Amino acid sequence: MLKTMLKYTFAGAVLFPFALLLVFSFGQNWRFPALFPALWTMDNWQLLLTSQSDLAQSLLRSLSISAGIATAATGLGFITAKHIAYHPWRQQWLTLAYLPYIFAPVILAATLQFFFLRLGLAGNVPGVLFAQLLIAYPFGVIFFTGFWNDRMRAMEQLSATLGGNKRQTFLRVLLPAAQGALLVCFFQAFLISWFEYGLTTLIGIGKVQTLTVKVFQYIGEANIFHAALASLLLALPPAGLLWVNKQVLFKTS
Amino acid sequence: MAGIYKGKYASLGLFLALTALPIALGIGYALLRSMGLAGLGAEGFTLRHWEAVLSGGEFWRSLGLSFRVAGCSIGLAGVLALAAVLKAPERWQRGGLSWLMYLPLTLPAMVVAFVVFQMLSGAGLVSRLAYKLGLTSGIQDFPNWVNDSWGIGIIAAHVFMATPFFIILFAQLYQSERLGEYAQLAATLGATARQSARRVIVPVLLRQSFPTLVLYFIFVMGSYEIPLLLGSQSPQMVSVLTIRKLQRFDLADIPQAYAIGVLYMVFVAAAAVFLLRNNAEKTSSTC
Repeated sequence: MLKTMLKYTFAGAVLFPFALLLVFSFGQNWRFPALFPALWTMDNWQLLLTSQSDLAQSLLRSLSISAGIATAATGLGFITAKHIAYHPWRQQWLTLAYLPYIFAPVILAATLQFFFLRLGLAGNVPGVLFAQLLIAYPFGVIFFTGFWNDRMRAMEQLSATLGGNKRQTFLRVLLPAAQGALLVCFFQAFLISWFEYGLTTLIGIGKVQTLTVKVFQYIGEANIFHAALASLLLALPPAGLLWVNKQVLFKTS
Repeated sequence: MAGIYKGKYASLGLFLALTALPIALGIGYALLRSMGLAGLGAEGFTLRHWEAVLSGGEFWRSLGLSFRVAGCSIGLAGVLALAAVLKAPERWQRGGLSWLMYLPLTLPAMVVAFVVFQMLSGAGLVSRLAYKLGLTSGIQDFPNWVNDSWGIGIIAAHVFMATPFFIILFAQLYQSERLGEYAQLAATLGATARQSARRVIVPVLLRQSFPTLVLYFIFVMGSYEIPLLLGSQSPQMVSVLTIRKLQRFDLADIPQAYAIGVLYMVFVAAAAVFLLRNNAEKTSSTC
């Protein structure tokens, strides 16, 4: 009985935010003490389909930035992690990779804002991409350091013994072996970028309007219905990626 | 790609350029700016901004709030997660719940903060329910659970985010450490379920998850979006205080923002490097 109650309580608590956002995204006019919005409408969602819609543009911009960051962090992290994993100072290198997270990305961005301004990288997409890479790339390195273990080294040596050169070993042995891990890292680096607000707003100085920046803008304008719609747009891709991610994790395990 | 793969030194150079260099530049500039040696309105070497930060009280109140919020959030989420895993350890390994518990992790901090605000504010859903049930006579009767000095809304948001994460962590540890078998062994030796949980399972779970708990604690201390939406004007959590001072029109506040940033970095780096030095190897091998 208690276990069933626990199950339903947990399921309810988990699903409630999604339900709330969905209701608000179709609502208008939520005056105290009404429990639900007075008006139900598709207007908020139609905003997305409007050409030149700010929200649609933010969605596309966020998708592009996150996909770019995920690709770069996964590719570069995979390669760098190999050299760090087999390095005698592996632990010291890894400590460096944790620092951007320990220092809090927004505080790191605050201390770096001057350099971004000087380099002409403030207030534009390349600057935001570079700033987010400073957070996502160390994650890729941390993630793949565990992949480069004795088993992988043995596989490389076996491939060399059988006559494979380094390129063949990389393309035909290591990359296929890392397929699942590459996919998981890609998704997680995508999420790091997708969720990023503080660093993006500081380096983008409000001009690079990603979805998180848009949500905050709507909240600031007290437009809870558009904020809910933008929040839902922020939550749906990760939920989809999670599903794929979990399928991959189950398969690889 | 294979060409880059060969370049050990290029790889390590890139790593340093994207990790150590920005941090060194950031701390260096923040130090210079906070000492009046760089930036707009640089007045020459001075420690007055540091004195203002260290003696003003605002930074210490802010650090205290950040510490308190992180401690309460991790403590509450940890207890809830431990209770859930101890009550039904097998339920979190397979079936619908094992998928559902990942869902809260797909919500960005800002969205969680938005939902918590819509739930707990004076005009929020809980307040409306209380009014409908006759418990309050309006918005003014409802307690301040958001934008309050205790950080109740911030803690609620972090607990919502951290609990599923800790359930996943503890459930995986329960399986990998074969704690079910230890519990059975303890029962065979005459231990009650409570004794087995208190003396066998919980100590192992807490010891094994210690590095993750420390990292999460630091993550909550440095969080920005949630306290930005749900925090009070004073005191503010460290990240919010730093950015607020940085974005003020008063030029005297900007060096203080950099001083606070440096102090916070030194504080968490000292704590984290000390705690993680012996655990980095173990944590990275979970990939």
